[in-house]
Amino acid sequence: MFKYIAKRILQFIPVFLGVTLILFIMQNVVPGDPIKLIAGERKLDEVTERNIRAQHGLIKTDADGNIIYDENGDTIETPMYERYFTYLTDLLQGDLGTSYQRGTSVSSIILQKYPYTVQIAIVGIIIEAIVGIGAGIISAIKRYSFWDVLVTLVTSLLVAMPAFWLGMLLQLVFGIWLGNVTGGAFSFPISGVAGPLAKYPDWMYYVLPAVTLASVSTAYTARIMRSQLLDVMNQDYIRTARAKGLSKGAIIRKHALKNALIPVVTYVGMDFGAMLAGAILTETVFSWPGIGRETYVAITQRDWPIVMGSVTVIVFVVMIINLIVDVSYAFLDPRIRLGSSKNEG
Amino acid sequence: MIYPVHQRPDAAAHADAIAAEHGGAAVSGASRTLWGDAVNRLKKNKLAIIAVIWIVFIVLVALTADLWVPQVLGDPNATAANMAAESRLAPSLEHPFGTDSLGRDVLSRVIYGARISLTVGVVATGISTAIGLVMGALAAYYGGIWDTIIMRLADIFLAFPYTLFVVAMIAVIGNGIQNVFIAIGILGWPSIARVFRSAILSVKENDYVDAARSMGASDVRIIVRHIFPNSVASIVVYATMNIGGAILTESALSFLGMGVVPPDPSWGTLIQDGQKYLQTEPWLMILPGLAILSTVLAFTLLGDGLRDALDVKMKDA
Amino acid sequence: MAEFLNKPMGRRTFIGSALAASALAALAGCSGGNGESSGSGDSGAAAPSVGENYMSFYLSEPAYIDPYNGQENQGMAVIHACFDSLLTWDYNTNEAVPLAAADLPAVSEDGLTYTFTLREGMTFHNGDPVDAASFKRGWERVASPAMATPSDICYHLAPIAGYDEFHAGDADEITGVVAVDDLTLQVTLSAPMADFPAVVCHPSLVPVPQAALDDPASFLEQPIGNGAFKMDEPWQHNQYILCSRFEDYYGEAPALDGVYFSIQADPDTAYRGFESGDIDFAQVPLGQLEDNIEKYGESEDGFTSTPGKQVMTGTELSTYYLIPNLDDENLAKKEVRQAISLAIDRQAIVDTLYEGYREPANSIMPLSIDDNERNIWEFCQYDPERAKQILADAGIDPSTIKVTLDYNGDGGHEDIMSSIQANLSEIGIEVTQNTLEWAAYLNSLSDGSYGLARLGWTADYPIPDNFLYPNFFSTADNNYNGYNNPEVDAGILAARQISDEEQRRQAYREVCYTVGEDMPVIPIMFYAHNYVSSERMATFNYDPGTIPHFETAEIA
Repeated sequence: MFKYIAKRILQFIPVFLGVTLILFIMQNVVPGDPIKLIAGERKLDEVTERNIRAQHGLIKTDADGNIIYDENGDTIETPMYERYFTYLTDLLQGDLGTSYQRGTSVSSIILQKYPYTVQIAIVGIIIEAIVGIGAGIISAIKRYSFWDVLVTLVTSLLVAMPAFWLGMLLQLVFGIWLGNVTGGAFSFPISGVAGPLAKYPDWMYYVLPAVTLASVSTAYTARIMRSQLLDVMNQDYIRTARAKGLSKGAIIRKHALKNALIPVVTYVGMDFGAMLAGAILTETVFSWPGIGRETYVAITQRDWPIVMGSVTVIVFVVMIINLIVDVSYAFLDPRIRLGSSKNEG
Repeated sequence: MIYPVHQRPDAAAHADAIAAEHGGAAVSGASRTLWGDAVNRLKKNKLAIIAVIWIVFIVLVALTADLWVPQVLGDPNATAANMAAESRLAPSLEHPFGTDSLGRDVLSRVIYGARISLTVGVVATGISTAIGLVMGALAAYYGGIWDTIIMRLADIFLAFPYTLFVVAMIAVIGNGIQNVFIAIGILGWPSIARVFRSAILSVKENDYVDAARSMGASDVRIIVRHIFPNSVASIVVYATMNIGGAILTESALSFLGMGVVPPDPSWGTLIQDGQKYLQTEPWLMILPGLAILSTVLAFTLLGDGLRDALDVKMKDA
Repeated sequence: MAEFLNKPMGRRTFIGSALAASALAALAGCSGGNGESSGSGDSGAAAPSVGENYMSFYLSEPAYIDPYNGQENQGMAVIHACFDSLLTWDYNTNEAVPLAAADLPAVSEDGLTYTFTLREGMTFHNGDPVDAASFKRGWERVASPAMATPSDICYHLAPIAGYDEFHAGDADEITGVVAVDDLTLQVTLSAPMADFPAVVCHPSLVPVPQAALDDPASFLEQPIGNGAFKMDEPWQHNQYILCSRFEDYYGEAPALDGVYFSIQADPDTAYRGFESGDIDFAQVPLGQLEDNIEKYGESEDGFTSTPGKQVMTGTELSTYYLIPNLDDENLAKKEVRQAISLAIDRQAIVDTLYEGYREPANSIMPLSIDDNERNIWEFCQYDPERAKQILADAGIDPSTIKVTLDYNGDGGHEDIMSSIQANLSEIGIEVTQNTLEWAAYLNSLSDGSYGLARLGWTADYPIPDNFLYPNFFSTADNNYNGYNNPEVDAGILAARQISDEEQRRQAYREVCYTVGEDMPVIPIMFYAHNYVSSERMATFNYDPGTIPHFETAEIA
């Protein structure tokens, strides 16, 4: 087991280096100069531009921070590999660098934004687990009933719609129409987060974004739950139990559910990792100040320290969650032996 | 989550599932009977038939649009002569989907948007499939260092948060419809590569492959003549579902202002346009969304139908 | 009180200072006691106590609230509440008036040296005295190359002697700024600029206490100023910024107890907050100005809200314009630019997309800057027939002109560009649109790979020079298409030296007229306020330069 975990952690390294290296290469080929962007449409004067470049280590400076010039009096650009090396060594010391646009440290920006992403991910995963597993069980037990058809239909629809569009529909129905119907007495906030002067109780701000975030994966959870449960119910040992005269309810509770849940829990766990990666579209639709939106804006502003920092954090979190899921999978399901070729990918 | 179908976190699991369960046995028979049986089975699947009819309908409408849409509904891109008076009209007989802020007929724009969205779906899927097949074949057939490098590369691509990766890619290569094909196409290869790799691995050791090899057939010939036909079922199923995913990704990019160039419409840009008037003219946002929903649903149902018909076993999707 | 105020307020002391704030309120005997903390529920951050007499002001997340880099409306609103510059602009009389200075500056014979005398007895929020040295300190921070992120608004100080050396890192101070004694600040320019007092009005050219240098990290989050309001706790990013009245303020005490800047990511959310009575000031969503005017009444001057006249629609000092690439073989011809400009139906754009509440541009600058006919550009009208005529007279076949309209695809410009495209096709000019991502767009502006590009200009100071010099002087930074007319360059330089107000304006009018004949840019519209404030605001002014005036605001 420890050997397996150690191996998996070692496998992080090439993936992580690959991801950051690809981002670094992108920085060098992407059109748009991050420093020129700082002042927006207005042009920066040359000296200011040079000073900012020096502060961010984009051009070479001596030990005192004075800019070094070449024989033509031009500044010397720091080569990409040097900056990548600096990024890695800083990272080892826990330093994610400083934002070009805002001048504040990337770690403080991530500390500000990441909690919001974690919050809706938690609410989202709770919705996904309860609704998805519940709907899956109902539709498996009452196979071909009205409820089964309904679950199948709704899950098919959810999987086929753009999540951002679903978000807008929710805003329309629960924010605007509900408000109009009740004469403004009751509705959900359609965007933003709670603040001291917020009109709604705090929890209400999470509902619509979390539902949107969880929509597609809830549909998947329900489908996986349904097919797993149906699979398990067809297994020999369940048939034996039935033959022994155990009631259907008891069989499901005592035997089937436990085995059928394992892959579902695995899926939900992996999906939690994916939710923690931030959700650009959901966060955009609901003006939710999370890490996905932040990284997206940083890409458009070429604020590479923020992009590098948040992708670093996201990739780490996702890899660790996936590792935890895999390890607990092995604990839950004695049939799986870790280290077998199946986990190689 | 907002992952398109083909890039969801469980995509890898699906890929493994298809390959592992489908193995060599299920479709190792003569491919002619396979496809014949498949068509017969597909015909019995009502949902799949409806999906096919819908897809054919949309494709026909989109293809023939130039012949009748501008005359009947109005030019999708030309602003109304009297903009202020024609702006944001409610749906009516004359304008079944209403008009947008510049007085253009929304139904006309949705129809022309279908061209763009469908093209993106098909072309992007074509690109990912092509790259995925080559990569998967290299990895599986040659194994060893090729396999390690390609599969690690696939891991790296899958480790990126998908939407962020597409956005970054578009930032690098620029806006515009061709670049959307490329970005979505390039980033979609790892899942296909995995499916194909597993499929090849499961048939590679079969006797007939050994036989072909001992008769001196070249690698390419073996892959093309013997291995590919035996994996094609799972690839077809996968690609069909992928089209829906690519349409969703395109709509997301257009929604973020990174897709097609105005005034050409895509379904995503139409939703983005409509969002501004969510409170006052909600149909501007709802109707194009229904177009996406119905089309992606059709491709998913068709994919499901093909999967059952071709007896490709994928868990749960 | 004093012991609280003397401490520099770092993050750790913010609970203490919040206590101090409520103690202040209690001492002053104002209505701050019955503070409501609505809807805070069980949130992690405790809600600040905000009384009835606080104005709740909508803000999107600012970039900087430290004056050294105050650059956009959002940050400037906070900076203006907390800091006072030497002078301030009076939009009623269109001139600079003293604020922290006791009087207008004395100007030397050669027009190079301005001597400011400060008011006596001013203190910072932490109790430090405001002296001439604190102004020098504040200004030098703006120009300093050594800031963690050097300021990008440093160009304001460029007219001052010694700026270049200091800014390049070759000098330890700006030699042109001298604190002669505690209350005398002497500023020497490198060349005469009669409009310099307008520059000094900029809300970011303010004094800072020594604390700004000692603890720059805290200052970034909770700046300590000399203005009528002070920050009680550090900036709560994406949530709020809380300011309360500064009791030791030298000037007239504001009527408000404080300002609660409610940070909302989305203006529509803020608007809903406004409708439900939580927010006193919000932006009206697209397409709903007409409804709002019906409901809340329209402000008389467009900038001041009073009960029943709450919707502000005044024209701002910002221009939306197209910039033709002068290296393009077609756009290089003056006649083509004039024809394009004449073909655009600005009124239709404004009517359709902005309910008629933006102003079609008839010049590079709104007439409120200088209301004179000579500033109106001849070709900024809608006259497609004349456009065709001009092309025909010049022997240009419109069908040979192919133009791309370049703009950023994420800024909501599509509708404007599509209508311009339709307008141009009516006179036979073929247009294709090209949307770029923001960063790539700015890149193409810099390297000249555009046809007709979109730009906006917002005035730093409400003077003609600020529209003409940055955009049309041949070597100015913002002159993207490299427009170069020696007559214009000479005209601007000459005008800068004229000390007589009226004569100077006259000189700028001639420059503006000359530019208008060349059409190096094609103005489309002037931005306008689309804001509404609540009925409980007895009076509130949001000026054309988009600065909110909390110091004069009153709650009924």
